[in-house]
Amino acid sequence: MLRASAEVTTTPLDPRSITDRSVDPLLPHGVVLLDFVDAVLGGDEPGRTRARTVLRDAVGPTGLVDASGVIANFEMMNRIADATGMPVGKGTLKRTSEWRKLIGIDSLNHL
Amino acid sequence: MFDFDAAPAKVRTDIRRLFRREWDRLALPGTWWTGRERVDIARAARRARFGGEDSPSSLPSMAIEAAETVGARPASVRRPWVEATADAVGYNRYVEIVGIASRVAAVDTFHLGVGAGLEPLPEPEPGEPSQTDEPLARPGAGWVPMVGGASITQALSLVDAESVAQEDMHGPLYLTYEGMAEFDYVAGLSRAQMELVAARTSAINECFY
Repeated sequence: MLRASAEVTTTPLDPRSITDRSVDPLLPHGVVLLDFVDAVLGGDEPGRTRARTVLRDAVGPTGLVDASGVIANFEMMNRIADATGMPVGKGTLKRTSEWRKLIGIDSLNHL
Repeated sequence: MFDFDAAPAKVRTDIRRLFRREWDRLALPGTWWTGRERVDIARAARRARFGGEDSPSSLPSMAIEAAETVGARPASVRRPWVEATADAVGYNRYVEIVGIASRVAAVDTFHLGVGAGLEPLPEPEPGEPSQTDEPLARPGAGWVPMVGGASITQALSLVDAESVAQEDMHGPLYLTYEGMAEFDYVAGLSRAQMELVAARTSAINECFY
């Protein structure tokens, strides 16, 4: 989905930033969005408050709510996928092989 | 309930309604668990994630373990564990646990994001589960029986009410299933920004899917 949305909108994006925080995602406000995800899922409340304030200043309160919604939704979907052994289709595996190598996520496939 | 008065950003009405609907759904008898048991599943999942004191539970031990695992350690789930859990409680009841624990995680995470305290769990409503079988569900490529081919939108289809609840959450929090094809979608964030957030979330959760 990330690859497709970046391609359709010709948005610059470095996918390595998904797993390597030293890489700039290139996307507008990409760094603060990634900081926010990290703070929500792994930080303490002071860290979340800081990341929330920076993100709200960058993308506005509507963007903050949208980002919180996306994280929440994928917290649900990740759990469902993991708990039901959801396989990734062969077509998707073929289409995404280059990106998966770049990002280095094949080790997460435990099916 | 779900007023978000103290949050630093105004939360959309559709999300507030969604969460109230989810809490109503949680408190009522489900397909395979009573309202009391459903709330206990949510409590076990939340406690495993955030900590807190043990409290008496109406659930068998394998159901508690399933709620805790899906709630706090989903990346550790493997097929033999799912099979052992299903041997103990049945695939239907396991799928309902997965639905409840995953949606409570979504509700709680949203609260962390917008800076609101976690909503207290609802008081359970009396009544018996409907025990409605899904006759079209079959074993397939996934680890639990599903209706049709294995896909994330069908993952909980063994228990239709849980599948409906999953789709109900998906739209307001992210995009409707139909809306996912709109790659140039822009609201508070652009679609590419949303997908960056989604991808990072999945990476932190060590979810290959």
